[in-house]
Amino acid sequence: MSGDWRIPLVLLAVCVLAAAVAYGAPHVLSDYFVRIILLIALNSILVLSLSLSNGFTGVFSLGHVGFIGAGAYVSGILSIPVQQKMALLPHLPSFLHWFSLPFLPATVVAGLFTAILAVIVGYPLMRLSGYFVSVATMGFLIIVNVVLINASDFTRGARTFTGVPLETTLPWVFAWLGVTLFVLARLVYSPFGRSMKAVRDDTIAASAVGIGVLRARLIAFVIGAFFSGVGGSLYAHYLGSFSPNTFYFAMMINLIAMLVLGGMESLTGALVGVVCVSILSELLRSVERGFTFAGITVPALFGASQIVLGFVFILIMIFRPKGIMGDRELTFGLAARSARARKRREEQNA
Amino acid sequence: MITLTRRNTLGLGLGAAAAALLTSRTAGAADPIKIGYPANLTGIQASLDGPMLNGAKLAASEINDAGGVLGRPIELVVYDSKSDATTISTVASQLIDSDKVVGIIGFADSDSVLAIGPQVQTAKIPFITPGATSPKLPSQIGDDIFLAAFGDNVQAAVGAEFALNKLKAKTCYLLTDIGAEYTTLLSDYFVSAFEHGGGKILERDTYKTGDKTFTAQIAKLKAMPEKPDFIFSSSLAEEIGLILKQLRQAGITLPVVGGDGYDSPLLIEVGGEAANDTYFTTHAFVGEGASPKVKAFSEAYKKATGKEPENAFAPLGYDTVKLMADAIKRAGEPDPAKIRDALAATSGLEGVTGTITYRPGVSVPDKSVSVIGVKDGKLFLADEAAPSFVAEP
Repeated sequence: MSGDWRIPLVLLAVCVLAAAVAYGAPHVLSDYFVRIILLIALNSILVLSLSLSNGFTGVFSLGHVGFIGAGAYVSGILSIPVQQKMALLPHLPSFLHWFSLPFLPATVVAGLFTAILAVIVGYPLMRLSGYFVSVATMGFLIIVNVVLINASDFTRGARTFTGVPLETTLPWVFAWLGVTLFVLARLVYSPFGRSMKAVRDDTIAASAVGIGVLRARLIAFVIGAFFSGVGGSLYAHYLGSFSPNTFYFAMMINLIAMLVLGGMESLTGALVGVVCVSILSELLRSVERGFTFAGITVPALFGASQIVLGFVFILIMIFRPKGIMGDRELTFGLAARSARARKRREEQNA
Repeated sequence: MITLTRRNTLGLGLGAAAAALLTSRTAGAADPIKIGYPANLTGIQASLDGPMLNGAKLAASEINDAGGVLGRPIELVVYDSKSDATTISTVASQLIDSDKVVGIIGFADSDSVLAIGPQVQTAKIPFITPGATSPKLPSQIGDDIFLAAFGDNVQAAVGAEFALNKLKAKTCYLLTDIGAEYTTLLSDYFVSAFEHGGGKILERDTYKTGDKTFTAQIAKLKAMPEKPDFIFSSSLAEEIGLILKQLRQAGITLPVVGGDGYDSPLLIEVGGEAANDTYFTTHAFVGEGASPKVKAFSEAYKKATGKEPENAFAPLGYDTVKLMADAIKRAGEPDPAKIRDALAATSGLEGVTGTITYRPGVSVPDKSVSVIGVKDGKLFLADEAAPSFVAEP
């Protein structure tokens, strides 16, 4: 056996801890804190799926939320109970009318749908680089928004899409977060992951040594889209009702801020970014209501939270321009230790 | 230059978070009755939810000055929900689970009410929306949802009858914002009432919330072979000023009619002179020459906030707090289930925006509608009516 025996042990401990939090939190914590934890985990899935293209492959996509929105609507349409479908979506094609899928299949179908969408969109767009791909993917987001608003037979148009069963619970989100993290970690730190990074760092050099630039970008884009479709489905079953504008620029900016702040080229960086931004904005939201501390009463200043948050973003970008984690991972020394151990073994064998 | 290492930054962030968590817990006062009040104080809904909250606060302080309800003061627990569905659901759990409110009041738009609906209904907490006007809300969410305002089907019918009878306008160009539930529904209700009354829609066009230029729609209007008598524009406060300005600049002087989405200071601030010859249906007229009841409210509002009520959402917020307080009083104790039943039995409650009575099993009150016009940059009361035909919700 190769590798450090501590790594599987730590992974197992993390899994047990996550399962304990997922099943225990609703009994111990108030609903508010459970929701915050759930939102952090849910946003982690979305930001991680964004990091694959934007961080590791150098395709700065602004269209990611388009996949999230598409995933949310697909899974919503599939999982609304049959009786309600008639009332809410009377013009739906008949083959969609007579069945409704449980949560898990609906989520997987949503992910597959967005992955196929990503192949279609990505095939032409992934040939672009730099700013061009950002603008082009933003165009994709706008198209998705317009389609969602105008395909009113499927989506109720701009009117709120409602009636989606509220099934997103902590265990579901944690399980999907685990799957996302596992797949992405295996992918990013594999030989193929190296070629993704090579494409990001120098497209010409990468193609000169025989790396398929389009292939690397497209695979990253499609896998990212699959998990954002899954995240979109989780979001739909969390909110229960949403409209096309829920999945638009405001959400895009929020996710990109989390990613850039945490560190674009690191999986744990994405997690750190989500946790920091979520906790900070929740705290500021409570503080801006006004409070009394040490005899001093601060009046309510609604809107102050956005200003402070923006200011913190600027500070972090000044002092840590590559985000909190940069391109390093938070491994608590385990990865380095394991690498050293492997090297020592190889030297002994030689 | 200060250098922050990875570990330092993480430590600083976590430390600050822990400190803030500890300080944000403050003890409550002498056991008031808590009413939740989520408000979209920032974001797209701010120009409606802001005045509404001021009106609500005014009512709460009046009630408390008069000795409170059941011998206890009432407290509005206010959070900014940022016009965002995710924040609304988080705020809802804070109100229901952490603050243990006995009732919730909030929002001027149907989308926000639909976002909070499932949680309110699951927790069986009575919820009144002062400003949302979709008559479908109670059937979409459940029996804990009440409207304090008339339904969109009622105001659209009044708008249609006003155009037909007062403006003598039989043909219409219909412009709809398809970016919101409210404008889409209002437009549909208007069409059925207008066509029922013998009017004819000559042409329709759409745009989306957030659009800034309306040249394409205006060009279509100018190219029509038969000119319409008026324009019905189902719009929100943010856009209507711009639409009017661009219409008038293009030389179109037709009257424009719409719903209570116009009712914000933005109409005249953005529209300016272009806002003349505009009419909209709303909950109460708060300008010069208003009824004595509205006048008394305006004076109290001015005293409390230093400015005139911006729109009819201010008195709606005021009326809704009084409605909730009345229900708590009749319930006899601050128990959500009893408050709900007392709310449903509300009958003949006089408010600034009209009298509120809920018919058995209907959570949308029957109220009269004010039609407000704009002349020389000033608002005036053009009509006050109950419609003769109302479309089904």
